[in-house]
Parts: sequence; structure tokens; C-alpha cells
Amino acid sequence: MRIDSETCIACELCLPYCPMGAISMDDVAVIDQEECVDCGVCLRSGVCPSDCFIEEAAPWPRSLRATFSNPLTVHKETRIAGRGTEEMKTNEVTGRFKRGWAGLGVEFGRPGIGTRFRDVDKVAQALAKAGVEFEPMNPVTRLMVDQSTGKINDEVLNEKVLSAIIECRFPLEKAPAVLGALKEAAKEIDTVFSVDFINRVEPDDSVPAERILTEIGIPPSINGKNNVGLGRPLAEGGD
Amino acid sequence: MTHTLHRKGTVENLSDDYVLLCIPAKGINEEGSPAKLQEFLRIAWGHNPVNIGSIVLGNMYSAEPETIMANAREVAHAVFVDPQTVAEVLKELKEAELGMSVVVSGLFKAVSECCHKAGLKRHTVNYSLGIWGKTEKLPSEEVLEVTTMCGHGMVSSSLVNFLAEEVKKGRKSAEDAAKEMAKQCVCGIFNPTRAAKLLTAMAAK
Ligand code: SF4
Ligand code: SF4
Repeated sequence: MRIDSETCIACELCLPYCPMGAISMDDVAVIDQEECVDCGVCLRSGVCPSDCFIEEAAPWPRSLRATFSNPLTVHKETRIAGRGTEEMKTNEVTGRFKRGWAGLGVEFGRPGIGTRFRDVDKVAQALAKAGVEFEPMNPVTRLMVDQSTGKINDEVLNEKVLSAIIECRFPLEKAPAVLGALKEAAKEIDTVFSVDFINRVEPDDSVPAERILTEIGIPPSINGKNNVGLGRPLAEGGD
Repeated sequence: MTHTLHRKGTVENLSDDYVLLCIPAKGINEEGSPAKLQEFLRIAWGHNPVNIGSIVLGNMYSAEPETIMANAREVAHAVFVDPQTVAEVLKELKEAELGMSVVVSGLFKAVSECCHKAGLKRHTVNYSLGIWGKTEKLPSEEVLEVTTMCGHGMVSSSLVNFLAEEVKKGRKSAEDAAKEMAKQCVCGIFNPTRAAKLLTAMAAK
């Protein structure tokens, strides 16, 4: 994203809108290109009285900033707008997460801090060592040069995005080891991540993960997402 | 795409925050899905949602609701402020047999009860295990309660602080400030009713 310095009237109206705090005032408003994640919020907000914001397609690897940060950009490989996959949202139809399995989402930079891929790389490698299966349709998985090690393409490591999600799955009994590895890896990064934990609900409406998570001292949240099972056709075992 | 997860808050201030999402499974039941998503939105609209939206089209504060309902594709969202209405919407969705997946985000206990009332059973859940890493970089909890209502991070913490100040100075009503924030959340999952309450509390300090 750029600001047209010829037309900017230095009104400062745009400053609070940028999630990365990348806009500052010189004689006119300027964008710190290192920190800007090309999310498009400034432009879409319509707040600029002089239409100063100019969005241009960036070359690789900077092009990743918009695909991961601007929810209106569709990832070519997954055809999904945004940062991740359908994960558990369509689980009754896809059967992605079976009984006895857990899904994990690690959402880097969220909420509102942003991340460089070098931090994603560190955690992805730690998770690979813990034996997770990365989600093949996820855009971060597509950036890995080797899914068995979690290593992410060196070309993109310095790119900054508003957020990027690692998605993976593993047998539920591995949860303590996987989350332990994640906890260690969290100490090595310069940003935050939000953690998603997916599990099938039992016929009596209980969730096996609740007990395990509580036992290892990571209590699950009071609120979250519930797939209510209305999708059809049901996947095999998607009762 | 877990944008409706990680909404921060307490049992008390999350009790008026429920997001419904309707989505087809790519490559499985995608055919004819736009009409079904549009039907989902029409059903939701009949129950007075505080927001609706669909990616690309925007939300009811940035676009005409009718335009969103007539053109939704890929995914559709609606936000409600009480579990009783959520139960009624779910009941109607069950009867409509759209065959699309529906996800309800909200307090687990309340959503489970809604499902029970609607004759549905939860299939899969997604918990938040919180925020890890350099948490010292985060803004205050009261700001996070507002910003996390847009899971794509389109509502900046500086905008929340700026608008809370505007409300405090009497330059904007909390409702108008909340709508300005809701506009930024392209999917329409931001809850402006809850945001107005949270902003009012911030401005009172
Ligand atoms: S594109 Fe996003 S990060 Fe860049 S200046 Fe605009 S609002 Fe800030
Ligand atoms: S809103 Fe537009 S005119 Fe005002 S400071 Fe920002 S870029 Fe310049």
C-alpha cells in the first residue's frame, strides 16, 4: 500500500485505522513499507478525504503479505479467502477430524500483532518434531519445502503478515506432547499466537479433549465454535 | 479460517454474542450452494440479527443487507445477541434442510442448550486455548474484547482507543462508534451491540 504524497492533506484521519500502526506523519502521511502487511484496511475504510491510498500488486515474495492479510484475497491453491481451510466447519461432511483425533490451529500474529514467517518456521519445525500431520490444503503448509520437517521456504521468512495459521492434526493422546512442544517453541518467537483445538463431540454431548486439556493445565475456553452437524452428505463416520 | 474463534470476554459480557456461519464443503456439496447460503441469510434476517455479511460483499454496515442476501457465495454469517433467538434460527435451519454446514460460535454451555432446543447435536467443537508467546505486546484486555470480534484483525486497537476517546468527549455516540468499527470487519461477524456496551464502559473510565 502507498499514499500519494501529492494529494495527501495531512489530516491524520487514517492513522488509527491501520492494524499495524504502519502509517505515520511526516509533512504528509507515510507508510512504513517494512511494517505494512498490505491488508487494505486503510483503503477500504474510505476514511481518506483525498483518496490517497494506492494498492498495487506486489511481486513475490511480498505478494504473500496481501494473500495472508487481506481477507478479500483468495489463495490460489486452496480457493479459500483468508488464512486457513474449512477446518472443522465442514467436518460432518469432510470427515477431516475423526473420533480419537485432535486438530490444532496455531494462529500467528493474532490478535492484531502481526508476524514474520521466520517465527512461523520455528514453531512449524517444533511441531513437525512432535509428530503432527500438517493440513495439506493450508496455505502455510504450501510454503513448507519439506512437510516432514516443517521447514518453510527461506525466501519468505522476512515477510510480515497480519496472521498466518499452521493447521495440523494428531491422535488425541499425543495432545500433551504436542502442546508441550508448542509451549517451548512459544518462548522463541517475537510475536504471539492464538491456539485453536478441535475435537469431535461424543453422542452424549461430552468432548474428550476437555478432560485432557484440563489435566495438563491448559483449560479450554468458555466460548468457541460448534459445528451443529447440518451439512450433507455426511462423511463416513460423520454421524 | 477460524475468524469467529478467540472472542475475548467474560461469561457476562459474552452472553450477548453469538455468530452463525454457513458454508459448503469445497468439492463435495458446493454445487448450488450460493442459493442455500442466501436462504440461510434470509432465515437469519427474519430473526433480527445485529449483523450479517459475506466475504467480498461486506457487512450490513458497509453494504445493503438486500445486496448481501441476494449475492452471498462461499460463506455467510449472521450475529445474534441472545441464545433464545439462536435456538429459533437453528430450528428453522434444521427444517429448511439446506445441507450446508452451520457453525455457531458463542459460550459453549449456551450453544449446547440452543442445539438441544432445536433438536440438534453438536458434531465437532473448536476451543480457544488462549494467546501464547510475547503476550506483553498485546493491548489491554478491554481493547482485546472489542478487537477480537473481527477475527481477521481488521479492527485495530488504535481505532478502539480513538473511538472510545471520541465517545468520552461526547463527539460520537457509542452506537455510531461501534458501527464504524463493524464496517471494517468485511465478513460481518463483528457484534456492534456488544461493542457499544464495551465502548461505553471504556469511555466511563
Ligand atoms: S495496508 Fe494495512 S498495514 Fe498497510 S498501511 Fe494500510 S492498514 Fe496499515
Ligand atoms: S486520511 Fe488521506 S489525506 Fe488524511 S493523512 Fe491519511 S492519507 Fe493523508
